[in-house]
Amino acid sequence: MRINHHPSDETLARFAAGTLSAGPALVVSVHLEGCPVCRDRLGRFEAVGGAMLDDMPPAPLAADLFGRTMERLAIAQPSPARRPFTRRQSALGFELPKAMRDCEIGPWRWLGPGFRWSKVRIAGSPDAKVMLLKGRAGLHLPAHGHSGREFMQILSGSLSDERGRYVPGDLDEADDDVDHRPVVGREADCICLAALEGDTRLHGLLGRLLRPLVGF
Amino acid sequence: MNEARQEETIPSPGELIRLIEAVARERDRNAFKRLFTYFAPRVKSFLLRSGLADPLAEDVTQEVMIAIWHKASYFDPRQAGVSTWVFTIARNQRIDRLRRMRSRPGDILVDPSDRPDVSPSSEDIAIVEEREEGVRKALSSLPTEQATIVRLSFFAEKPHAEIARELGIPLGTVKSRVRLALNRLRTLLDND
Repeated sequence: MRINHHPSDETLARFAAGTLSAGPALVVSVHLEGCPVCRDRLGRFEAVGGAMLDDMPPAPLAADLFGRTMERLAIAQPSPARRPFTRRQSALGFELPKAMRDCEIGPWRWLGPGFRWSKVRIAGSPDAKVMLLKGRAGLHLPAHGHSGREFMQILSGSLSDERGRYVPGDLDEADDDVDHRPVVGREADCICLAALEGDTRLHGLLGRLLRPLVGF
Repeated sequence: MNEARQEETIPSPGELIRLIEAVARERDRNAFKRLFTYFAPRVKSFLLRSGLADPLAEDVTQEVMIAIWHKASYFDPRQAGVSTWVFTIARNQRIDRLRRMRSRPGDILVDPSDRPDVSPSSEDIAIVEEREEGVRKALSSLPTEQATIVRLSFFAEKPHAEIARELGIPLGTVKSRVRLALNRLRTLLDND
């Protein structure tokens, strides 16, 4: 399916710089997996990073750093074997994107009629607000706004709101300018990966629904 | 002698590729030393600017250089120039270190910089060199205030509110300037 919604320049620039927080970065990684256009855009922003690295004023180093590095090279193994997979992942009934293979995935939990969520944990980022959401075909989600930015990648099914229709591969960024009332497409259930940035909170009924259950 | 302060000549992009290849194929220590002399002080400077304190910044710099040694054969000049590749390694090592400091033993960390080993044609390399040159031109043609915004929001993990304080301008202005600067940068990048 054709991808129509992509991460913003700012988001990709921050991803390229490594300053996008873990939750949103995971959502963007999933998008990149399926979007050659954004992989190319990312390459350009990374080249900006390369040019900036060249322009960095050299920082003073400890006099023996090179010698110590060579000593460590003499000991270190060329490629440490990846540890076998040990993440706890609940079977959710669909194949997870590769970018999520190191995440812990909780079971589907009830959030409302026809509406389920699953907690996603990222190694080393226990505070990241990330979840999988599943809405029944045709489900109307409560209207809500955001006090920060919400990132959402569609994995299956579709979602529509006042701004457009989102299909698998699409990434939606909604910030405090956006108040929306998403509706799940009638053709199938919709599963998406969503992350809230920093102190982002959802307003409205959806926020009141999520907060006690999801914790954010 | 103080090796770190040794006078350097700045290697050209093509020379950097030859140095990486010498490290990949022959484990050439002299080539590695030249890469070290050029990159280590810049990588450390980048890490300091992105918020790591000094002993940590130098430690991560060492890990970046070790990663360059081990991953040299994965460098693909059709994908990016050497400086860009090193930048992504430094970025990933920084993220990994910050995560490892907060994570439990047994956590697995992904390194997105792994890339397949292939032998590229000189044309492939020329395309990348041209692109990276275009990026450089685009950056230098940004107006100073936009370049500052890009640098601040790019390198420092700074929320817009903090950038606003630092530059003494309203938050809304920072937001619109970031958007403007990135738009302009993107237009310039698309035209290369």
